[in-house]
Amino acid sequence: MTNVYLLDAKQISVQSPLVDDWMDNPLSYQEPYICAIDPNYKQYFEPNMARRLGKILKRALLTSRQVMEATNITNPDAIITGTGLGCLENSELFLEALLRDGETLLKPTHFMQSTHNTIGSLIAIDAHCHGYNSTYVHKGISFESALLDAFMQLKNGQIQTALVGAHDEMTPKYFDLLQRIGYLGNTENSFSGETAISMMLSTKQKINALCRISGVEMLYHPINLKESLMRLLDEVQCSLDEIDAVMIGTNGLPTNDRVYAEICPALFPGKKLLRYKHLFGESYTAPGLGAYAAATCLHQQRIPAHLLAPLNPPSGRKSSPPEGDLGGFKHILFYNQFENKNHTFILLSSCGK
Amino acid sequence: MDELILKLKGEIIEVLNLEDLQPEDIADDAPLFGEGLGLDSIDALELIVLLEKNYGIKLTDPAQGREIFQSIRVLADYIQANRKK
Repeated sequence: MTNVYLLDAKQISVQSPLVDDWMDNPLSYQEPYICAIDPNYKQYFEPNMARRLGKILKRALLTSRQVMEATNITNPDAIITGTGLGCLENSELFLEALLRDGETLLKPTHFMQSTHNTIGSLIAIDAHCHGYNSTYVHKGISFESALLDAFMQLKNGQIQTALVGAHDEMTPKYFDLLQRIGYLGNTENSFSGETAISMMLSTKQKINALCRISGVEMLYHPINLKESLMRLLDEVQCSLDEIDAVMIGTNGLPTNDRVYAEICPALFPGKKLLRYKHLFGESYTAPGLGAYAAATCLHQQRIPAHLLAPLNPPSGRKSSPPEGDLGGFKHILFYNQFENKNHTFILLSSCGK
Repeated sequence: MDELILKLKGEIIEVLNLEDLQPEDIADDAPLFGEGLGLDSIDALELIVLLEKNYGIKLTDPAQGREIFQSIRVLADYIQANRKK
């Protein structure tokens, strides 16, 4: 049976870029709209190349290059990208110019960067990859869609390596719109972040692989979520008892968190619940950072206390999270829901298991 | 003419996002493409848009661009002779 390994992942987000410092020194924010912390790109890109790349492209390209270098897989069989909004900044510039100047005076650079699949194309051109290249644009399940595609192709033996990315940027204008419809940043506990994460998947385990991806299941309006979870666990021969913790996507917004509060006690009774959006903020592809956070915990065999979700009983009473460094983890389940319509399970297992 | 050349250099730096350059770094007679500034075909499209937007000059013949975009000075000469705004 073919195993799928998550060999490594590199991120640029509102936490310190390209490192796992968030495990021990997490940055915290009070403002509702936070931009990613960009590294000094002049260290990584020739000026003539960098000048034409928007923020999201620089982030995607750098994280991809770094993960390819770290895993020594410079020509993956597939490049699969998830993005909720694509190259939003340039799309806005292009559309504004269209409104202001008409159709005859449009800048080609903004045009080229205003399509969602520019990200995957750029990575492929840069790495000289001529293999499978696909981009998934499905709002809050964009990352999971990309991951599922890679996972199935790896399992079926169609490919041996895949670079999976989750990338989204946020602009003040779009943030304003999302805030007005109540999707983001209306409570003191929630904020909008930006996501750039690239991960290398392979059927061959390497030393220092983060974890194994045991199963991926995506559901739309599931009739019986518990049954679907049990079926997935049966397929991979894992029981609910063996799961050490569940990573969930609470983000401080009542409409979102209410769903988890209703579902989690029944679905994962007594399980340790972990969170990640208090660190990375909300964005359509934030689940990519959640999966990476869970994989990092498995790899390092520790869960920092700040990842533990506050134990919120239905009454709303809060208690302090307990110390989380326990070790000996075998499985962490990643569970994400988007608008209570799309539900995803990703079972991550330690490489030794 | 010197004033136009300086203005043009600033516009090119802004439009092509040549963030590491100052107007004084661009020689008036240095080639814009290949050597010199090292611009490429996408930059040529950006310059065509710049000419139309800022000076009302519409280039219809691509071969014309090859001649006009030789250097900042040649470009400034052409603008001086053909500008509509």
